[in-house]
Amino acid sequence: MEREIFGYKCQKCGTLHYPFRMVCKNCRANGYFEFDTVPLPHAGKLLTFTFIHNLPAEFEVARLGLGIVELENGLRVTGQIQIDDPKLGMDVVGAIEVVKRDAYDNRYGFVFRAA
Amino acid sequence: MAVDLEKILRPVDHPYPPYPAKYMTLASGETLVIRQATRDEVPTLLKHVAPLVFVERDYYDLVAARVYAELLGWYHYRMQDEYVLVAQIDGELAAIVNGRSVTGKQGMSLHTLAMRRGLRIGAHAFAAKMEYHIDILGQDEVLVVAESPIGFRRWMIEYQLEERFDTPHELGGVPSYALTKELFDRARSKLVVGRRPVPEDLLAKAHEAILPPSDPPTPPADLLAATRAKYDLTGTALILQRWAQDRSADDA
Amino acid sequence: MREVYIIGIGITTFTRLEYPLSEIAAYASMGALKDAGLTDVDYLVVANMGSARINSQSALASAVADTLSLTPAGAVRVENGPASGASAIKEGFMAVASGMHDTVLVAGAERMREVNSLEATDFVATLTHPMAEYIYGVTLPGHAAMFTRLYMEKYGVTERHLAMVGVKNQNNAMLNKDAHLHQPISLEGILDSPEAMTNNPWVAEPIRFFDCCPVSDGGAALILASKEVAEASGRPMIRISGIGQATDTLAVHEREEPTDLMAVRRAAEQAYAMAGIKPKDIDVAELHDAFTILEIVESEEVGFFEKGKGHIALEKGETEIGGKMPINPSGGLKGKGHPVGATGVAQVHEIVMQLRGDAGERQVKGAKNGLACNFGGFGNNVIVSTYTREG
Ligand SMILES: CC(C)(COP(=O)(O)OP(=O)(O)OC[C@H]1O[C@@H](n2cnc3c(N)ncnc32)[C@H](O)[C@@H]1OP(=O)(O)O)[C@@H](O)C(=O)NCCC(=O)NCCS
Ligand SMILES: [Zn+2]
Repeated sequence: MEREIFGYKCQKCGTLHYPFRMVCKNCRANGYFEFDTVPLPHAGKLLTFTFIHNLPAEFEVARLGLGIVELENGLRVTGQIQIDDPKLGMDVVGAIEVVKRDAYDNRYGFVFRAA
Repeated sequence: MAVDLEKILRPVDHPYPPYPAKYMTLASGETLVIRQATRDEVPTLLKHVAPLVFVERDYYDLVAARVYAELLGWYHYRMQDEYVLVAQIDGELAAIVNGRSVTGKQGMSLHTLAMRRGLRIGAHAFAAKMEYHIDILGQDEVLVVAESPIGFRRWMIEYQLEERFDTPHELGGVPSYALTKELFDRARSKLVVGRRPVPEDLLAKAHEAILPPSDPPTPPADLLAATRAKYDLTGTALILQRWAQDRSADDA
Repeated sequence: MREVYIIGIGITTFTRLEYPLSEIAAYASMGALKDAGLTDVDYLVVANMGSARINSQSALASAVADTLSLTPAGAVRVENGPASGASAIKEGFMAVASGMHDTVLVAGAERMREVNSLEATDFVATLTHPMAEYIYGVTLPGHAAMFTRLYMEKYGVTERHLAMVGVKNQNNAMLNKDAHLHQPISLEGILDSPEAMTNNPWVAEPIRFFDCCPVSDGGAALILASKEVAEASGRPMIRISGIGQATDTLAVHEREEPTDLMAVRRAAEQAYAMAGIKPKDIDVAELHDAFTILEIVESEEVGFFEKGKGHIALEKGETEIGGKMPINPSGGLKGKGHPVGATGVAQVHEIVMQLRGDAGERQVKGAKNGLACNFGGFGNNVIVSTYTREG
């Protein structure tokens, strides 16, 4: 099965949200389940980034790249980055991969690479 | 007769080159000198290590006791090819690191004991020790273990040490890890710093006297509270506290 | 609303404390009770973020009330991330202002050093969005780093400005016997010398070791009282003149303008409105400098300096103890330390010392109005409060 990350689109006003919220930020008019789920686009622009060197114990790497990406549809997401020399504003494309291993569970999320 | 026996017991040191002293600026702006200690300085070092045997935290007690023993072993000629480096700020003792050579090609890191916290002095001193083995002694690798899980994890992460589980480490045989020349070269630019030669006045100051550490780690202020903090109803979680209780029982 | 005064303060040293958590809270509380000349209070509010997770103890307030033998007084624990401390003060304020209670003990305490620094990092990171941030390995230094990068780009803040905040605050901490770090640092040692980058390694690029607050244990406490009780106590009259609080999106990426800290701005506006004062009336401030960038940005968002100009004021020395707008004379979180639940209370402890004129070598001369900013999450729950010396 192809994995996707979903945005939530308000059925009343069409505003897209990520992550999930129960009430629309724009019109506040709807309630639970009054959103359509829309798979998020994978391409976007890197807004900011960091390489973290002091990680929680589950992450067995010396450093981990993280960034905030503005996707093609204007929504922003946080994700891991695997880019050697990132630049603000560069084009990136995300894949849905394991971002964390929690005991026996895999957690999936965005991993962005240079487009 | 006694002289002959001593000859048998006393290992012969190989003529390894000495560690060339270096200096560096610390985060505080102070200057740290790292240099090789001499056998004559061992009694002074022992004096400053001894109090740490009673610091039951971060394995200071275990590390200090072992360093104490290793220093004595060197002083009394019972340990072969051991060396001791000291890190000093204005003469003040800030860290002791030691190790030995197993063969011309393999070194063994023994301990790193930092007496001042918050300036990464332990890290600088550890790096100097690795530098001694790999760059000065020209060895291929250094075997490393650590008593403190958190200190060890940091070295693992910073240097990406290799497993050498088939080679027992002298510190109780726990699985060894190795810092190879290749790993060291990779970490070098980030972790190994220092300038040579050390200006004469700085070096003279360092050699003049090993002054006591100004702010060494100390045991908990309130021993009984510290045992409570370990959820210990018997009030004996700390060795020192147990002694204190025995003493009051004896008095009664 | 009734007026509310702070008549007693107490604090522990911030460092590694080998005491049970409830005793850390109680020790600071004893100091505050003694300072106020009280043996009893009507109500306790205990601020703490992590007791259940890192000390295996929940319902901390009951333990504190009992340790102090204050039972049967009511007691409640407030957990609101790193803003727990100020949230507890607000809770205590409302209890007195409403007329429900006349005396309230507000204590904050944290014992984070019971776990190693990897676990502490993870514990603090649990305040991020669980699905959209936490699973990726986002840490608080990571958030601060991504924010710092944008701020550098947009406003010309440099690594040197960040380092200047660290140097100032660690040097201020030298004047505070209760501070965690008693270790001055210098720009030469952390930025300019050939060894500087090894002395001051990355924590999360572009944030370095000396841009972060340390992980500390500690406790702080205040006694809040009605005007009648305060007057009878004979203690200096320090009034809580304004409190504002605002939230922002939990996931940082959802903020419209990523270089704004809207919750700080809004909380400050509310506090000033309530107090009827302006930023220029403030004589001394304790800002939440968990990361050096935050001191700079908060100093703008609370209105001391124009947006994007905080680093210029810093450069000119305006935020030093003798400067025009002294910030973090206590050493701030950077120098004094950051036991998360205690921090908001400890900030106000410092403001009260300053307004009473009891701050010794770090005293800001003639301070009459003080401000504290306690920053929770990465700016998603912020409390700004102001304090005024009367008479
Ligand atoms: C920066 C950081 C990663 C360093 O952790 P570390 O490398 O494990 O630090 P160590 O345990 O080796 O510290 C050793 C000494 O360095 C000093 N030290 C630690 N952190 C320091 C810091 N940030 N600045 C200056 N000195 C520091 C202390 O003196 C400490 O000695 P102590 O244990 O006697 O107190 C850690 O302090 C950190 O994560 N800080 C941020 C905490 C945070 O996010 N808080 C919540 C924000 S809302
Ligand atoms: Zn809507």
